Amino acid sequence: MVELLHLSVEEVTAVRLSLRVAFWAMTASLIPGILLALVLARGRFWGKALLDGLIHLPLVMPPVVTGYLLLLLLGRKGPLGQFLDEHFGIVFAFRWTGAALACAVMGFPLMVRAIRLSIEAVDSRLEDAAATLGAGPVWVFLVVTLPLTLPGIIAGMILSFARSMGEFGATITFVSNIPGETQTLPSLIYTLTQIPGGDAGALRLTLISIAISMLALLAAEFLTRRLARIFRANDF
Amino acid sequence: MVSRMHSPMTRDLVISVLLVLVSVAWTAPVSAQAQKLIVFAAASLKDALDEANLTYQRKTLQETATSYAASATLAKQIEAVAPADIFISADLDWMDYLAKRNLVKPDSRANLLGNRLVLIAPVNSTAQLVIAPNFPLAQALGDGRLAIADPNGVPAGRYGKAALESLGVWSSVTDRLAPAENVRATLALVSRGEAPLGIVYQTDANSDKGVKIVGTFPENTHPPIIYPIAVVAASTNPGAPGYVAFLKSPVARPVFEKQGFTVLQ
Repeated sequence: MVELLHLSVEEVTAVRLSLRVAFWAMTASLIPGILLALVLARGRFWGKALLDGLIHLPLVMPPVVTGYLLLLLLGRKGPLGQFLDEHFGIVFAFRWTGAALACAVMGFPLMVRAIRLSIEAVDSRLEDAAATLGAGPVWVFLVVTLPLTLPGIIAGMILSFARSMGEFGATITFVSNIPGETQTLPSLIYTLTQIPGGDAGALRLTLISIAISMLALLAAEFLTRRLARIFRANDF
Repeated sequence: MVSRMHSPMTRDLVISVLLVLVSVAWTAPVSAQAQKLIVFAAASLKDALDEANLTYQRKTLQETATSYAASATLAKQIEAVAPADIFISADLDWMDYLAKRNLVKPDSRANLLGNRLVLIAPVNSTAQLVIAPNFPLAQALGDGRLAIADPNGVPAGRYGKAALESLGVWSSVTDRLAPAENVRATLALVSRGEAPLGIVYQTDANSDKGVKIVGTFPENTHPPIIYPIAVVAASTNPGAPGYVAFLKSPVARPVFEKQGFTVLQ
């Protein structure tokens, strides 16, 4: 049983890289995710359906296609990639930042959906009441809407994190499979399945992957329940 | 007749049964038409095999459906009882893997094709390298990476690693690699200019106008690149042996040679 948990250096590297990539993918998606969810939930403008469709594109496209599009746009020779490199020194090609970007893109629609649903469920009369008491729209959002949306935000973060932990197709197409840099847990699991006799290692890593995701889910559940308790304590 | 039935339920039942019978009759083969052949083939064979299959279909009316993927993926699928009739691997290891588990018919196994390993660069690159022991590969990469199919499991990557090891340059590039999922993805990385150099088969380099061959690896630097073919043990398709015979025949030879494969005897 102990041998099962004995990880090689390569495997530990992949686990740590996956955690790092998933964390940053989730964190970087948070503010854009909340803003876009707000726009979609409350906004009324021409092209809203188009924006919604665009955000959901990574959900319906094959991951490899998403990865290929990322490569075309943000690779070393891509128009956006060259711009970011020249002006900000940000490079995504063959680096962990590229893996994080691929994961963020794939998990973004899930996060936006969760947050949007949560915002739509907020009673707008509470926001109106705050406005009548003199609060500006930004303050209303920060003090009334956002706290009530927190369960949805947490759900969105967990979805993005979990999606990033399992992301493979877009990552390997965009930034390939470089140990220590872009070889996340799913990529290493895939590599092991390509080696005769590597199935045992693949299974071991899969179990670890499941364990990590379960822990994240339990943490999110715990957080949500604590928040619910706080809100209930403040019920009028 | 149907409208005169008294109970609507009986009428519905009769209509349903008639529909089922019609649809079964419709999809049943009209004559003793040949059963479609399912071929699992290594990704690098795509262009050549597609053409060979077309030629075969025109000659014999035998339809084929080919799944192209990494040899490892295909072998695993066959092991999991995928309904393949024919397996063409990009190296001997994966065919041996199946042979050891008695998943291919041993007397149907043959070495079909050979290939060469080449070093490629984007077509407008100015890279000039002569492949020789200790050649300056790491320097030629600059700050870029060497695109290669994953050396852990993909045959093209394994051959590439073996070649670089025997030339004494592997250790200088171990941390400068961009391991791709399969040899075609490797080709795409170089073709897009994302990697300044890459290692693929000669046949892949020929198929993409966006790359040019910088050099060919001498055959003694890596194990011989052999594509073995065999009929899957669980296959019951009577057209399988004929298909294998066709691919080995002089008729199919020019199709493969045009792509750059060497036809083995």
